[in-house]
Amino acid sequence: MPETTATRRGLSLDVYAVVLALALALLVRFNLIPAIKW
Amino acid sequence: MATSFTPTRAVGLGATGSLVRRTLSLIPGLLLLTVVGYGGKVIEQSIAAYTKGHHITFPNIEYVLWAIVIGLLIANTVGVPRVFQAGVATYEFWLKAGIVLLGSRFLLGDVLHLGGISLLLVAIALSLSLGFMHLLGRIFKLKPKLTSLLAIGSAICGVSAIIAAKPAIGADDEDTSYAIAAILALGAISLFTFPLIGHSLHLSDKAYGLWAGLAVDNTAEATAAGALYSDAAGKVAVLAKTSRNALIGFIVLAYAIYWSSRGEAQAIGNKAAFLWRKFPKFVLGFLLISLLATAGFFTKPQLLSVANLSRWAFLLTFAGVGLRTNLRELGKQGWRPFAVGAIGEVFIALVTLGLVFGADRYLHL
Repeated sequence: MPETTATRRGLSLDVYAVVLALALALLVRFNLIPAIKW
Repeated sequence: MATSFTPTRAVGLGATGSLVRRTLSLIPGLLLLTVVGYGGKVIEQSIAAYTKGHHITFPNIEYVLWAIVIGLLIANTVGVPRVFQAGVATYEFWLKAGIVLLGSRFLLGDVLHLGGISLLLVAIALSLSLGFMHLLGRIFKLKPKLTSLLAIGSAICGVSAIIAAKPAIGADDEDTSYAIAAILALGAISLFTFPLIGHSLHLSDKAYGLWAGLAVDNTAEATAAGALYSDAAGKVAVLAKTSRNALIGFIVLAYAIYWSSRGEAQAIGNKAAFLWRKFPKFVLGFLLISLLATAGFFTKPQLLSVANLSRWAFLLTFAGVGLRTNLRELGKQGWRPFAVGAIGEVFIALVTLGLVFGADRYLHL
């Protein structure tokens, strides 16, 4: 069922994105990565 | 026994190998997203440096537009080769990570204030637009489930809402692809029309951002339409769109109950579990980062770094928006779903514009 796969992928995509974003924010918070420039 | 090779280990190694292969398959597309997005940034900076150096007055065209245009040119001329497609499809992942990180630029009070106004306006616009879309569907003689998908897609949040609704209301593949194509085509059009309308009406950053977040369907396009106006408008557009996304589960549930009551979709058992499954989890991440920023968890320079990380994530997203828009494919879809979507979109854009004007006046954005 492609739709089930898409839904599951959609859900896990959200969770992975949140985990990555929080991990990056913590790395910044504890000065484990250099300042990010734009 | 170090050399023993049990079936369990074989399965484990097979899964690891497949994960490595899948990860490696993303690299070409990720590089393409980076090149296109960064190319847009270089063009913006080069034009700004040239016009400044030669004392020419020229409006600043954000990298967002360049990244989308480069992506569109590639996708609609040479096309995106298969080897790049898996990586390009990650643009939505970067969008969600970018939104979570953007939470650092909002104080929780602002989130609740603007998010609350957005929810109120969404509720009003939603009830008007759902009724209007169903009326249009009847006039244009669309299949009822296609009309439901178009209504959900245009009133709530584009493609992800349509994908969430498809199994819940038992819609078929053809209706789903029509609805997605119409929503994507309209999203691409709104990218170029919304900033022009906003400038001609002299909308403030907040009012424009709120309008873009409430009226543009897909989250990526709403974010881009906001950022094309200004950085501040982009921020508000993301917040308004995120509030709108939070409602997806409720609307899909309402439609699922409607179609199952007519015996044309499966009944929903545990409604709370259904709502949680459909709830976009990145909204919680966004609120958490905003809460941490409000509580003083980050220093000022650290907040700037987190905000810049969000910008880099959006840069990849905007490149993806252009690269995945195939105008020929969109043109192949029937004209009726597109017409219903387009008329509905214009209606929603006008209704939300009126609501934003009202909110600006009476609720002090």
